[in-house]
Amino acid sequence: MAEFSTSVRERGDISIINLKGFLDAHTAPTLENNFTQLINSSKYKIVVNFEDLAYISSAGLGVFMAYIENIRDNKGDIKLTNMSDKVFNIFDLLGFPLLYEIYKNEEEAIKKFSGS
Amino acid sequence: MVKVSRNIVTTQLQLFLLAAFLLFIFKIIFGNSDEFFLRILLDLLIAASIFFLLLALIKFENSRTSTPLSLILNVGILLAIMFFIIMFSDFLLPSIFDSINLKLENPGLVYNIVSFIYVLVLVSIVSFFLITLRHFFYLNQRKNVKIYFNTMLIFFILASLSINFFRDDSLSFIATTFFVVSLLLMIFNSIRISWIAFLSKKEKIYLLLLSFVITTLFIVNITNSAGDNIYSQILTAFSPSLRQFNQVIMIYGSIYFLILFFTTLFHLPTAEAYDRKAQEVTSLQYFSKLITEVLDFNDLAETVTDIAQKLSGSKASWIIWKNGTKQNSLAPKNIGFVESDKVTKQILERISFENLTSTKTFSLKEGISEGSSDNLLTVVSVSPIKTRGETQGILVATKGSGQIFTQDDLNAIETFSDYASVAIENSRLLEESIEKERLEKELDVAREIQRKILPSKVPEYPDLQIASVFIPAFEVGGDYYDFFKLSETKLGFVIADVSGKGISAAFIMAEIKGIFESLVKTIEGPKEILIKANDILKETLDSKTFVSAAYGYFDLGKKKLVFSRAGHCPLFLLRDGNTNQIKPSGLGLGLSDGEYFEQTLEEYSVDLNENDTIVLYTDGVTEAKNEQLEDFGDKQFLQVLQSNIKLNAEELSNKIVKEITVFSSGHEQYDDITLVIFKWQQ
Repeated sequence: MAEFSTSVRERGDISIINLKGFLDAHTAPTLENNFTQLINSSKYKIVVNFEDLAYISSAGLGVFMAYIENIRDNKGDIKLTNMSDKVFNIFDLLGFPLLYEIYKNEEEAIKKFSGS
Repeated sequence: MVKVSRNIVTTQLQLFLLAAFLLFIFKIIFGNSDEFFLRILLDLLIAASIFFLLLALIKFENSRTSTPLSLILNVGILLAIMFFIIMFSDFLLPSIFDSINLKLENPGLVYNIVSFIYVLVLVSIVSFFLITLRHFFYLNQRKNVKIYFNTMLIFFILASLSINFFRDDSLSFIATTFFVVSLLLMIFNSIRISWIAFLSKKEKIYLLLLSFVITTLFIVNITNSAGDNIYSQILTAFSPSLRQFNQVIMIYGSIYFLILFFTTLFHLPTAEAYDRKAQEVTSLQYFSKLITEVLDFNDLAETVTDIAQKLSGSKASWIIWKNGTKQNSLAPKNIGFVESDKVTKQILERISFENLTSTKTFSLKEGISEGSSDNLLTVVSVSPIKTRGETQGILVATKGSGQIFTQDDLNAIETFSDYASVAIENSRLLEESIEKERLEKELDVAREIQRKILPSKVPEYPDLQIASVFIPAFEVGGDYYDFFKLSETKLGFVIADVSGKGISAAFIMAEIKGIFESLVKTIEGPKEILIKANDILKETLDSKTFVSAAYGYFDLGKKKLVFSRAGHCPLFLLRDGNTNQIKPSGLGLGLSDGEYFEQTLEEYSVDLNENDTIVLYTDGVTEAKNEQLEDFGDKQFLQVLQSNIKLNAEELSNKIVKEITVFSSGHEQYDDITLVIFKWQQ
């Protein structure tokens, strides 16, 4: 029903995924592909920018869970940025802030990567 | 059968040889006698010989399948041989026999043998002409072909014999009449040549040239044999009838081939159109096969490349299919995957899927060898295969060095690739509709599971009103709620939402029901129960699936509510005209392993007051959407609760459902909606 698209950028060794539209069970495979490709090319430092994301369903949240273990085992991380209040609430309800680092903007997330 | 027919050939051949032998004996004994009775006997023997020779030739002709063109070529060769025989007999025979005229009057054995063989060869050649002409005549799908042809033959014989027997000038009109009638019959039987229509343009041009040459040769031979040369002397001496018969057949041949020449000439302008029509008919057969027979995608690809190769007369064919960002070769015909990939690489360097809108042909930069080294593929044609308006595949056909794709080839491939697109689109749509049907069946099952899992009625207590609403979404959303009578005074409850949808969500719901039903029997504390549930689910769920849940219990004796929240929507407590959101910390089930889950999970406990209302819900409520895709939202939900605090549990739940229904009337319900409301009334 709803549109969803992603785009991937590189900032040094950090990969930034921009999400746009509606992320649910039907559109999740697109994001899954992004993660799979990054992991296949050994890019484990990933920032996901939620600025243009209108909606995320529980299945959309599941995508992040699917890859985090593998990424962290390889000394990488998924950091989340630019969430709208609505999207943040959904993350918050499930306790995601306890599991993921969530930042206001990309710069903070990138700084965290380079700092550690 | 074969053996029998061979026997027949032998029989006719034997009869012919017998007749010929008798003829030979006759000639040795009587020479070129002019006696009337002997002349009749001679012509009868000749007629018998020719008759059996013709029969033998017809049988031989029927036993092999030869095309008209090859027969015509044979005629041409024999005509040339005949031409040389007539030419050289003028030089050769006089040098052997000094004077033919003398020999004719007084033939010796040697002369008899030589002239006999000479005549036999010429008669055989002419007989072959006759058989070939008969063959062509029979190709016409006309009625009574046999009668027409045999009538003509009878007049040929009459015309030939009358020359011999009505020599008198006053009677010569008889021979002339027969000859004229024969001539008319020849012309009549030569018009309306229909078999050339089935030849291709190339063959027609070839035929045009051949028929011209043959007509010329016939006329030259007739002219040569009409004069008073050695050929006509020998034949006339042998039998004037035979000479006439030969002439008549040669005239028939020249007329037939002359008409054939003009017919072909007139057919030529339409030959191309005819070719195309013929091609279209063949193609249509292929296409209908394509569309009716094949529904499986891989089979379809095989058929497409198979037909494309045949249609364009190319060496190899395959499909380059776009698969996400990659391309792969499908159904390579007459070529290996390695070679086809090499060519594919060269093609994709030149063109892209997006730019290919019609069939193109070009030479490869470097030829690809297929099999032996001289089998080099050098030219390709590429055609788009479109689905949903986009070029999804490229139909490739290749030819070897020295070959090209003609415009006809390209047209055929182009049309074919259009049809292939339709067929592939059909198979895709069919697959989709099968898939859709399967999904719908699956969802029916999922809804049935959900219906059986959820409680059919709410428990009843004097001090506690309980109301619950469950509105399933089309795609089962994985909502679950339940009540557990823990003891006389304790009522447990759970509300949960499985991530994901459909049958898999329904199965996880069933699993959760089982987990909670067994856990509540031995453990009381909500936090402890959720920790245990998380342990189990972390093991069984895959990494991207999780469950949000809230578990709690009412202690009716102690007037207390205890509950924990594992990533689920908060609980609302309506008390003293205020709506309080209660949201103790807690991660969703299946997200994290035991220790961290335990650390972050809180347990909340509250003493109940008169008219306290507790509202539990799933995100289907707050995420219900209107036509503008706006959420019903926390705020609006809160407002509805706040302004309806005084209602009892049942009324409140009805009110909320009504509000949501009104709000989302223009939009399909996307997620399950679950609402559980308790009201303490002591």
